[in-house]
Amino acid sequence: MRDPRVRKIVLFLAALAVCELPAPLVDNNYILQVLFRIALFAALGLAWNLVGGYAGQLSLGHVAFFGLGAYGLAILAAHSVPVWIAVLLAALLATLVAAVIGKIVFRLRGPYFTLATIACGEVLRLTATNLTITNGAIGLTMPAVFTGPWVWKFYYVSAVALATVCFLVNFWTANSRFGFYLMAIREDEDTASAVGVDTANYKLRSLLLSAFLTGLGGALYGSAFQFIVPDSVLNIDVSIQMAIIAMLGGAGTLLGPIVGAVLLLSTSEIFKTQFQESHLLIYGVLIVLVVLFLPEGIVGSLEQRLRHRRNVIQKPATAAPAVSAPEKGR
Amino acid sequence: MTQFLQACMNGLLTGALYALIGMGLALIFGVMRIVNFAHGAFLMVGMYVTFLLFDRLKINPYLGFIGAGIFLFAFGYLVYKLLIQPIRDRSDFMQILMTTGIALILVDSAQLTFGADYRQTNIALINSAAHFGPFTLNSASLLSFAIAAVFIIGLREFVVRSRTGQALRAIAQNRDVAPLMGINVIRIQGISFALGIAFAGIAGGLLLPALYLFPSVGEDYTLKAFVIVVLGGMGSIEGAAIGGLALGVAESLTSTYIGNQWALAIDFVLFLLMLSLKPSGIFGSQRA
Repeated sequence: MRDPRVRKIVLFLAALAVCELPAPLVDNNYILQVLFRIALFAALGLAWNLVGGYAGQLSLGHVAFFGLGAYGLAILAAHSVPVWIAVLLAALLATLVAAVIGKIVFRLRGPYFTLATIACGEVLRLTATNLTITNGAIGLTMPAVFTGPWVWKFYYVSAVALATVCFLVNFWTANSRFGFYLMAIREDEDTASAVGVDTANYKLRSLLLSAFLTGLGGALYGSAFQFIVPDSVLNIDVSIQMAIIAMLGGAGTLLGPIVGAVLLLSTSEIFKTQFQESHLLIYGVLIVLVVLFLPEGIVGSLEQRLRHRRNVIQKPATAAPAVSAPEKGR
Repeated sequence: MTQFLQACMNGLLTGALYALIGMGLALIFGVMRIVNFAHGAFLMVGMYVTFLLFDRLKINPYLGFIGAGIFLFAFGYLVYKLLIQPIRDRSDFMQILMTTGIALILVDSAQLTFGADYRQTNIALINSAAHFGPFTLNSASLLSFAIAAVFIIGLREFVVRSRTGQALRAIAQNRDVAPLMGINVIRIQGISFALGIAFAGIAGGLLLPALYLFPSVGEDYTLKAFVIVVLGGMGSIEGAAIGGLALGVAESLTSTYIGNQWALAIDFVLFLLMLSLKPSGIFGSQRA
């Protein structure tokens, strides 16, 4: 137990076990559904974190991959492809489209990049609304990945499993050369490129990884709710949610998206009963507050404070400056 | 040929309103380097203000839009002071998030206050048409075109000739040197933000009679505004005016020859093409 690595693994497994606890214990389908959504959006936030957090590219078009996952599964399953293979193929389809989208959008920076990602998502939404294969605005019925009386338990467990995979990918990114390159791009793209980082290539790789995971999430989400229309699974609100979840918790941190998902979805669940259609209001207020007062997100700010304190204790004479924010004044 | 010209004319009439929207966004971007993702939401607020003036006080929308402009100027200034000024030196990332947050708050507040119902101002003018030889133009669109033209020229003259306009251009050219020349950057930025928002409000008021009103009506216009501004070269006010007209024509031609439902798709296709081929805009010379 003294080896920090062993301690981390034990901690991770314990946390995972706690996350899986509701599956055998809770029988209420409504609660399981809420928990499923929290776990799924934690996974989506973590997937977004690869591009938006580590590589620092503010994508508001991730709904494209989410929607492709859902639509891919629906269409493939309708052509009698076995469900689980269809899920995988749908996620691969999302990855493939991500390669095309990445080629277009990564030539751009800052606001142009964000706008282009939004446009890509919207083009897909309009296409799905107008094509016959997607059944237009009427939408498609999704194949059930799970059946039986325990469906929601299974969906919840699989969402947690997906979140775990996303977490491990994030963990690997945070500690690998790949991740260091991404963070170098985030801090200063020109310098990163000048010291030999193939910035276009690494940004694209982070997007492909992120799109694959997001596609899986989309397929799972669509299957759980049985029916999809362009305005549900290709709605820009999904992109915004993914970004806010990561930002609220702390973009570019490991635990941030998880904290963000728990906080955001549980508050929106509470407000949903009060505000009904207007539950996004709370998202707006949270974004504004986070930008004004917690630009590093909740986990990011805590980490910063901890690191600061540790530095002060180690070198009382020269208190180290706070870790530099990933932004430059302009 | 007649059909083609007719489509072009219809496009120009809508395009004038797009020009107003785009100019507002270009003004804000040029002076503040802030990309306003809430532009369509402000336009929606302008529509509701005009609608309320019509519904409660029976003021015709073609007069009521002035009220929307004045209200949004004040509202825009307030938003600038409270939410934009504190983050004016932050990264793009934070500014985009902030304006996205503002948009969500505006749209959902409207939903909370007015509900999701579709509303409409039934004024007679919208159903009357004017005939010019083989061409037929909607009278309401002609009127809004004329009003928009006045504001487009007015804004251009203001920016080129007035002292505030000069200060505004100085900041757009060089934000570091402008304050050394005795320009109060914060004040001027506040004014240009408010003015940009007011233009969105005016456009909203003028659009109202031709559209159904609901809280998320502005969403498409945020994206349209970006397309316009990118077409015209980011931050150039004249460019945005021409970009607006061009977009109007492009949409009109698309719905005439390809199909109505693809009119919005052409916006994004144009946008992505423009960004990947010539990001500095049709007339832009400097790199975006």
